[in-house]
Amino acid sequence: MLRYWWLGLIFIALLFLPLVIGEFWVHVAIEILILGLFAVSFNMIFGYMGQLSFGHAAYFGVGAYATGLLLVKTSVPLPVALAVSMVTAGLFALVIGYFCVRMTGIYFAILTMAFGQMLYYIIFQWYSFTGGDDGLQGIVPPAWLMSAWAYYYFTLFIVVAAMIVMWFISESPFGYTMRSIRENADRTRFIGINVRKYMLINFVVAGMFAGLAGGLLGPFNRSIAPDLCNWHQSGVPVFMTVIGGPLGFFGPMIGSVIYTFLFAFVTGFTEYWPLTIGLVIVFVVLFMPGGVLGLAQSKFKTLGARDSMAETQGSMDTET
Amino acid sequence: MVILKVEHLNKAFGGLVATCDVSYEMQTGELSAIIGPNGAGKSTFFNLLTGYHRADSGRVLFQGQDISNWPPHRISRLGIARAFQVSNIYLALTTYENVRQAILAQQKRTLNFFTPAHRLAKKETAELLEVAGLSQHAYMIAGNLSQGDKKRLELAIALGSKPELLFLDEPTAGMSGEETHETMGLVKRLNQEMSLTILFTEHDMSVVFGYAKRLTVLHQGAIIAEGSPEEVRSNETAQKIYLGEEA
Repeated sequence: MLRYWWLGLIFIALLFLPLVIGEFWVHVAIEILILGLFAVSFNMIFGYMGQLSFGHAAYFGVGAYATGLLLVKTSVPLPVALAVSMVTAGLFALVIGYFCVRMTGIYFAILTMAFGQMLYYIIFQWYSFTGGDDGLQGIVPPAWLMSAWAYYYFTLFIVVAAMIVMWFISESPFGYTMRSIRENADRTRFIGINVRKYMLINFVVAGMFAGLAGGLLGPFNRSIAPDLCNWHQSGVPVFMTVIGGPLGFFGPMIGSVIYTFLFAFVTGFTEYWPLTIGLVIVFVVLFMPGGVLGLAQSKFKTLGARDSMAETQGSMDTET
Repeated sequence: MVILKVEHLNKAFGGLVATCDVSYEMQTGELSAIIGPNGAGKSTFFNLLTGYHRADSGRVLFQGQDISNWPPHRISRLGIARAFQVSNIYLALTTYENVRQAILAQQKRTLNFFTPAHRLAKKETAELLEVAGLSQHAYMIAGNLSQGDKKRLELAIALGSKPELLFLDEPTAGMSGEETHETMGLVKRLNQEMSLTILFTEHDMSVVFGYAKRLTVLHQGAIIAEGSPEEVRSNETAQKIYLGEEA
């Protein structure tokens, strides 16, 4: 556990962060956490299972609408609403995933995207239930979470808890089975693993965490719109993961820090955000294909092989 | 006791007949080989037995149970493992992780979400690496292993499933002479000491004659000769088709 001392440091820094930054940046930090959780859940499918889900916003959106609708139309407490978001997103992922895991590669990407768009149009059109184009307004968090600071700590707590659970999954036999499916699905079948079933389970788990991230968004923004389920939104975790690095657990979160921070910063003085992020992506893909994390790890390794052979066993380093 | 029984198996890919009315039987504890020139249908035969391809007709029975057209993972769980001709391993994982994955699957622990994998199956993995002679490469990324070591690693993965019946498709392909005999020595030990039933394909004649007790000659998808190495050596059809070409 001593190897992870730096995570403890980061966590302590995050606890003190709101004390030194203004309210605007607290909002940005909340968004970094929420979108980072979304991206880490996406990477369970992309980095670990080796399939590109281009419809991951569907589960993010379902989670957002589940919590949003519960808070607007009922008096369910927020934590319960978030749990409902996870379950609902998981159910959608189960139905959609059942079809998607039959495919791999580009067909998987297209199919996930097609289902995602279907869901988007349903939410977009169904005025009586989802508010359609207008979205949902007045998603008010409970009184104790009204201030940006309170909501920051609440989000931090949920996101850190979710990340710990996902970390354990990624290091568990199930996580290694995902790597084995990514590396060689045939070999995995021949050691007795039902590859499709495992892919579906992973798809559902990833969908649940995306739903949790979505659920956190509504009470933060006080409103949600169907655009949350649109394919642009599915591109966000893809960008974040590419920037941060898909082959390490924290890559997508690092990507979220860079992407979200940049977004807040750049849109402050120019409307050319898509151009900016486009240039960043081009730079990353051309000059650091493993993302920020990949670059950091390769530098780290050349600086000195600190990790002994035995230590590497079972750690993330083995993937790079 | 009959462990494997194949009845009138047929498979064609478009117009190409890859397996033609093959009937075959293996006794528990046998170490046998299938030989035949390239394209004779050896790999297809293995693919049909392990569920990689679906047979057009015919039956496969394992310990009396009909496993025709079962999916690979179910056949594997029943106790049939295989290694491929071109080594089929997890290139980006370490040697140790490759073997551990097979063992965790055999132990039905792959649905465990919360125990770190590196704490599990330590002893079994180390033992199997020792058996396969890969202990010194345990923490090497499998993609960086030599060709021979990759083949041995796949053998170790197959053994991780604790099979009763093992199919090896050209287990020594790409190995040096010395490596070949080391590997075949290992195969023989597995057969004798762990009483594993093994069927392998091979094109190197010295390997076949040195180790297998029974040979089956496959040509254009059909069995054309069968018997002890000596019988096959003196069989005229077999000589013409196979030994003639090689010798």
